[in-house]
Amino acid sequence: MSLLSYVMVNIVSTLLRFLPLAGKTGLIRLGNPDRHSPVLLTANYVLTVSRVKRALAGINAFLLVANSRGVNVWCAATGGHLTAHEVISVLKTSGIEQLVDHRKVILPQLAATGIEAAKVKERSGWQVIWGPVYARDIPAFLRTGFQKTPAMRQVEFPWRQRLEMAVAWAFPISVIPGIIMVSFWPEAVAVLVSLVWGLSLLIFACFPLYSRHLSSKGKRVGLIFFDFGRGGLQLVLWGIAMVGLLIYSLLTGDYGWAFFLRWAFASLVLVLIVSLDLMGSTPVYKSGLHEERWLEISLDEAKCIGAGFCEQVCPRNCYEMDLVRHKVTLPGPDRCVQCGACVVQCPFDALFFRSPKGDIVPPETIRKFRLNLMGKRLVRVREESL
Amino acid sequence: MMRILESAPSRYDRGIRILTLGKIDEVYDRLVSRITRGQQVFDLGSGTGALALRAAQRGATVKGIEINPQMLVIARRRASELSLEQNVKFSEMGVSELDREKAESYNAVMSGLCFSELTEDELIYTLRQVARILKPGGLLLVADEVVPANTAIRILNWLIRLPLLVITYVVTQTTSHAVKDLPQKVNAAGLSIEELRLNGMGNLIELVAVKSEGGQGEPA
Repeated sequence: MSLLSYVMVNIVSTLLRFLPLAGKTGLIRLGNPDRHSPVLLTANYVLTVSRVKRALAGINAFLLVANSRGVNVWCAATGGHLTAHEVISVLKTSGIEQLVDHRKVILPQLAATGIEAAKVKERSGWQVIWGPVYARDIPAFLRTGFQKTPAMRQVEFPWRQRLEMAVAWAFPISVIPGIIMVSFWPEAVAVLVSLVWGLSLLIFACFPLYSRHLSSKGKRVGLIFFDFGRGGLQLVLWGIAMVGLLIYSLLTGDYGWAFFLRWAFASLVLVLIVSLDLMGSTPVYKSGLHEERWLEISLDEAKCIGAGFCEQVCPRNCYEMDLVRHKVTLPGPDRCVQCGACVVQCPFDALFFRSPKGDIVPPETIRKFRLNLMGKRLVRVREESL
Repeated sequence: MMRILESAPSRYDRGIRILTLGKIDEVYDRLVSRITRGQQVFDLGSGTGALALRAAQRGATVKGIEINPQMLVIARRRASELSLEQNVKFSEMGVSELDREKAESYNAVMSGLCFSELTEDELIYTLRQVARILKPGGLLLVADEVVPANTAIRILNWLIRLPLLVITYVVTQTTSHAVKDLPQKVNAAGLSIEELRLNGMGNLIELVAVKSEGGQGEPA
């Protein structure tokens, strides 16, 4: 793929990050693979495929693109669009079985929330190997014979990703009202666009400064404004926006109470919109809108035999293996983002979620019923006539 | 278009009825009228059981496969409400596992709005497997969304679908694709088309294909 199309894909899918973008599914040959070359699998989100290909430049391998309906790996797996069935399907219908002598497929670690490795093995004969979280670590992972360092297992939120999220929020929030306003209030478009982009960039750039105050355990989703950062974050942001407005009016000489009040209100609304699902926009917190953020991961030590799948798939490194006792330990339960990967993969049902009331959510529920966009697992069946 | 409904399976059927302007029941009834008592019938992507339960009510023994566990919950519940548990079994299984079915073991294979959910590779694989598992003289019965052949209608269809697609995108962040060149693909799998019906817009196909007597089904 040319550099130009790589750049274009990155720009378009950063601006429209919240929309899926479905690419071709099936088999892709990277370099000159032979019958012993590794087989990797990813989702058919165009951006993901282009980044994986780029990370694998110079490596001979087969890349299978499964049908996740154009959604990225983590969201598709958690939302039920990338399950064992999609994996089995691409393994069996892409022709890969005629091209290699082995039966090992490397899956992105974040797909562990939705793809049951045991089911893939049972129904297709293919063994699942959990690769690293990020495509950039795949070459090192292949070189070392599938060794994953703790760093390769962990999700991060570095400045590049934060910048992408700022753009992903700012673009639709500025473009849609901007287009509407251009016909009847064109002089306000510039203010709106600068406010939106300024606030978004500010929120995500300053993330390391306030992230330790964030907590997704708040119970009042309706009053989320007051939950965030112990009630202060949005007010601080709003204050900064106000200072920006003041500077703008001083510079342009265009000030007056009506102007100031109008934009003070508009920027308050903007702050609320942009920070509405701030934590859900990061990979290091559970969405503040999802009820599952209250679940607590629990270990039934009696059932654990130290198989270690949880340690391999946890994107927050919550687990540590006790090699003497052959049991896993949970030194970092606070880091858990309730992704459910460990629950789905544990072959002995030793891990499960516990609700704040103390109810146990059985592993079977997490495996079978996926999260919808509102963060609910639909298990309720309503009476309907045929 | 089907995704928004599938993410809320309990509303799925009502939604499908609205989207097809009430046509879907008519289409399903007509297809299932080909099924007779005592036949072995397979239903691809059985969803909430619309086709499978109709076939079971006509006295056939039906196996329905579906990958969405919520759909399976609803389908099984309906089967028990209609006291059809003995006639219809629903399994969590994808089309790529059709190779586990015995050759020439079904009188009919049905597919209602399933092919449009498949990738190109999956559709070709599925049709080849269908040709294999059908008995000689067995029928493939399909109702699905297709791309209209006429360019003007295709554009009109696209314009009508666009608002729906936008809403679907916003709400569910996903979409579905209509099937391209379905009759050609059915033929390529070694089945002969017996009846083909399109709705007024040319976007909903109703297709009956037959595996010829003594034919091997799967081409070399």
